[in-house]
Amino acid sequence: MNRRWRIALLGLAGICLTPAIWRVATALPRFGEPSEQYGPAVNRLGPALRHVSNMVSAVNFDFRGIDTLGEEFMLLGAITGAVVLLRGARGEDLTAKAARLPGRQVIGRAESTILICRLFSPAIMLFGLYMALHAMVTPGGGFQGGVVIASGLLLTYLGEGYRGWRRLIASPVLAALEGGGALLFALAGLAPMAAGGAFMQNVLPLGTFRDVFSGGLMLVTNAGVGLAVTGGFGMLFLEFLEETRATQSEDTR
Amino acid sequence: MTVLPWFAAAWLFAIGIYGIASSRNLIHLIGCLSVCQSSTYVLLLSVGYRWGAAAPIFYDHPPGTMAVDPVVQALVLTDIVVGATVTALLLAMVLQVGRKYGELDPQKLRPLVARAHR
Amino acid sequence: MTVLLAALFLLVALSGTGVVLTREPRRQVFALAVNGTVLTLLFFALQAPDVALSELAVGTAATPLLFLVTLAAVRISRQR
Repeated sequence: MNRRWRIALLGLAGICLTPAIWRVATALPRFGEPSEQYGPAVNRLGPALRHVSNMVSAVNFDFRGIDTLGEEFMLLGAITGAVVLLRGARGEDLTAKAARLPGRQVIGRAESTILICRLFSPAIMLFGLYMALHAMVTPGGGFQGGVVIASGLLLTYLGEGYRGWRRLIASPVLAALEGGGALLFALAGLAPMAAGGAFMQNVLPLGTFRDVFSGGLMLVTNAGVGLAVTGGFGMLFLEFLEETRATQSEDTR
Repeated sequence: MTVLPWFAAAWLFAIGIYGIASSRNLIHLIGCLSVCQSSTYVLLLSVGYRWGAAAPIFYDHPPGTMAVDPVVQALVLTDIVVGATVTALLLAMVLQVGRKYGELDPQKLRPLVARAHR
Repeated sequence: MTVLLAALFLLVALSGTGVVLTREPRRQVFALAVNGTVLTLLFFALQAPDVALSELAVGTAATPLLFLVTLAAVRISRQR
């Protein structure tokens, strides 16, 4: 279909739908005056039921834990798909040298960049670890902490260059983190069934309110998610950055 | 102000769809897709907001203070991370298309046909 | 608070439009990073710190990097 026809059809669809959107937008509850009951019920009963103070983590890992299990495996599936696509097409001959584009000047890394990256990347990884561990008391959790740790890995790449970065991280370790995290989550769901409870029932001791180690089984699922997200994003960065490397045949030219 | 968030979300979605339909570069298309995704985040979080309420984290204030809805926040937060990995999968596919055809314009791409080995 | 939230909603709509209207992919990457930052501020103002943390790390670091590396790899493969 021609681009112009496509936009014209889109405009037509927009004109037909605009009254419907107007009607829906004015019929929704006013902004700031929600009328649903589930959220306030979670806020009211959650701290006493699960002894955690971060209700978003409680919803994610306990009250709606099966949804998060599904999201976790969606993450695993998408990352596996991307890695398979990239590795399958790339082949096995690669070096650590960057691919050279003719006529494009190569600018080395500035010393200040290397210094800042060396100072900040361990700090950021530590901060990500702190965020992932304090899931039950302060804003944070496995998802956020995992992505922050992965961005710390990126800063390491900026500071060390590709060759140094590959020496630090190994692809099997990241793959083990990712798969191990998802496996930990699934086992945390299955283990209570072995003890006679329901799937992902919170059978561990719940701990005291406002303590870092409160929440019971939520800590295990949170750890699983954090490992999986860290490993997954690290693998994605690794596979994408490998695409910009020269092949063996170009390297010896 | 009472209906601004709904219209902001609708606008973001509409402009994202327009970007996808009128895109001349597959990578630009994926960026517009992420704008569509962000419209759902804005809508969900605005549904849960309550005037004068605090965050649903009862570490500094005692449980029982008025807080916003934590369920939609849980939905959006996992969605953001998973959406980024789906974007990565789409980018990997675009990379293969760019390699095979040397061309990233959606108009100029043709379906795969059996072609003689070059 | 009303004024802040209204301004942030309008800013988000504006930055989303900016992402779409930036046709050159190399420039759109920076528009995406700005969009991620503005969304983070909006989520923070909507009393959602968890979501803001997630969007900050993903929208300003991970996603723009993936876009940039894809652009570089396509350009390299065109050269071959």
